[in-house]
Amino acid sequence: MESNNQDINSLHLGLADEISPAAAAWRIFKKNRMALAGLIIFIMFFAVAVIGFALTNGDDPVLDPAKVRLSEKLRSPLTPADTDMIKKEDFPVFGIYLLGTDDLGRDIFARMMQGAWVSLTIGFVAVGISIFIGIILGGLAGYYGNVRIRFLPVLSLIVFLVSLIFWASGQNSMALNTFIFSVVLSACSLLYSLMSDKGSGWAKKLDFLFFNTINVDSLVMRFVDVMLCFPSFFLILTVVAILPPSIYNIMIVIGLTSWMGTTRFVRAEFLTLREQDFVSAANAMGIKDISIIFRHMIPNAIAPVLVSATIGIAGAILTEAALSFLGIGVPPPHATWGNILSDGKKFLFDAPWLTYIPGLSILIVVLSFNLFGEGLRDALNPKLRKR
Amino acid sequence: MRNFIECINLNMFFFTIRSFFQKLVTLLFISIISFLVVYLAPGEPSQIDPLNPKFTPDDLVKFRQEFNLDKPLHVQYYLFYKNLFIGELKSWKDNQPVLGKIHERFLNSLWLFIVGTLITWCLSFPVGIGAAIKRGSVFDRTTTFFAYVLISIPSFFFAYIIIIFVVQTFNIPVIGMQTFGMAQAGELYRAMDRIWHLVIPSILGALGGIALLSRYVRAQMLEVIHQDYIRTARAKGLSSDRVYYRHGLRNALLPFVTMFGLILPGLIGGSVIIESIFAWPGMGRMGYEAIIARDYPIIIALNFIAAVLTLIGTFISDLLYMVVDPRIRL
Repeated sequence: MESNNQDINSLHLGLADEISPAAAAWRIFKKNRMALAGLIIFIMFFAVAVIGFALTNGDDPVLDPAKVRLSEKLRSPLTPADTDMIKKEDFPVFGIYLLGTDDLGRDIFARMMQGAWVSLTIGFVAVGISIFIGIILGGLAGYYGNVRIRFLPVLSLIVFLVSLIFWASGQNSMALNTFIFSVVLSACSLLYSLMSDKGSGWAKKLDFLFFNTINVDSLVMRFVDVMLCFPSFFLILTVVAILPPSIYNIMIVIGLTSWMGTTRFVRAEFLTLREQDFVSAANAMGIKDISIIFRHMIPNAIAPVLVSATIGIAGAILTEAALSFLGIGVPPPHATWGNILSDGKKFLFDAPWLTYIPGLSILIVVLSFNLFGEGLRDALNPKLRKR
Repeated sequence: MRNFIECINLNMFFFTIRSFFQKLVTLLFISIISFLVVYLAPGEPSQIDPLNPKFTPDDLVKFRQEFNLDKPLHVQYYLFYKNLFIGELKSWKDNQPVLGKIHERFLNSLWLFIVGTLITWCLSFPVGIGAAIKRGSVFDRTTTFFAYVLISIPSFFFAYIIIIFVVQTFNIPVIGMQTFGMAQAGELYRAMDRIWHLVIPSILGALGGIALLSRYVRAQMLEVIHQDYIRTARAKGLSSDRVYYRHGLRNALLPFVTMFGLILPGLIGGSVIIESIFAWPGMGRMGYEAIIARDYPIIIALNFIAAVLTLIGTFISDLLYMVVDPRIRL
């Protein structure tokens, strides 16, 4: 035993230094200059957004994005403010319009700073929602994929959904009836599962109502297939235009229509992880499923999710800009880059900075997210380490 | 050999049947979701224009009767799809049959789509293959960077830059399908005019696709040229052209066969912004106008048709894959 241990120790000495996965990933990431630039711009954008939020919020903000100065319309960038025409409290910071003004004399610099925060929030919240749904559904499909759902629970779920639909369409009596029916059905299923655990002969007779229908994996993946069939931008456009205009609706709708990719990644990762030895070991030790999933499996499956999240944020920012451009984006009190761009298109020749400043900003930020995401993908992909 | 072919045919036959029924179920859910998303949203079509003095409460009742809005939801659902399939579904705005309107716009979108797809496929392959063969070269790095730029640029912003550039440099109008008042002009002149109007929006619509597809081609090609049989081919002393294009490309092409099926849905979804900017009377623009006007039948019909196109596309690509790669058994 003693000598065995020594053997192992001496073996260890011959190997290269252990480096943590994070350090290994960073080593590869550093070599990719474009990805590194993306990361730096990403951090800068984050800082600008937070500073912008601090400076443009509150009762008396330092940079007031909504201040209208009708005498100072369409000033080009770096124009000093006209001291004769406007009041002293309406002055922009440093008394100069850093990025010019728009057709209402609002300071574009202040609006861009506010827009940075709005874009960042939309990106993060939308992707947060989509990742949350993706991990839950993908985890269900990957870990509990083989579990077959019995007939009566499926039926009660369907009846419950129908009652929700009736409720939403305002037919309250029908909604109540179907809701009660679904409650009765689920109570029956619960009773059945309790009775059959005890081995009751009575429950056996009801077995014909509880034949297996579909397994969890097919259920989730068919739902993913259904969602993937819709043209995503057109669907987002439809829902956002029909709902009352609000910044939260946009975040939620973008999130609810973009979780399919994450679900697929997480499911695929879980399917391979489930067969690994450390998960079997955890199972054998009697650790609860919840703990296995959250402590052992998700940390191992998070790499592709992180990559798709980074690229997803870029996509969400672009989608918001496109919605604002079509006139159904974030409603007026908030300035967003898409808003500024779409307001500026009327003055393309008179005030080109209204188009170029937000347009190039969106381009640079989205580009940095994409480059960073791709760099991350390469760095986290063990296959690529050899090449 | 004959046995093998029979086996494939039988396999494909069963796959076709099974897949057909699966798609039918999917279609049912798609029809429900696309109907509910629109019908359950707060507000009614009659509320769009509450201040319109011509829209009296009597008219509202008539309107609701005419378009079955006074019936329960499931009856509305049934009537909606029944009318859609027998071609009786009418737009709420102008009482024109929805299918007729869509057909008319579809023909316009089809031109954009065909030219855009041709440009995408003709450009992506040379660029992607070149970048893969000369991995790490200046060409590779430049195209990679530009691919990212094209993915990241807001298409409407880029469209404006291009419009300004084209209009100022070549002095040709590009908005719409043709220049107004050209009926008297010569045949050649008119043809040139139409081509100009077609090419600019097609290129702009294709840019995102070019970027994505060329990256994908590059990745596939890189995957293949690291395989053993490529090394064998090189070791035999074949010329590099022969190695890359006969041994490499043929195998790298395999996944792209499936893409022929998947480009179908791009007909509707991808064109909203470009068609709006260029005032191109196509399906995307019609969808946008219908959404703004809350013309529910057109919105739902477009969503539904797009989903059907996607389903048909995946079906075709699955079949193609089975034909091209006999190892695949679905």
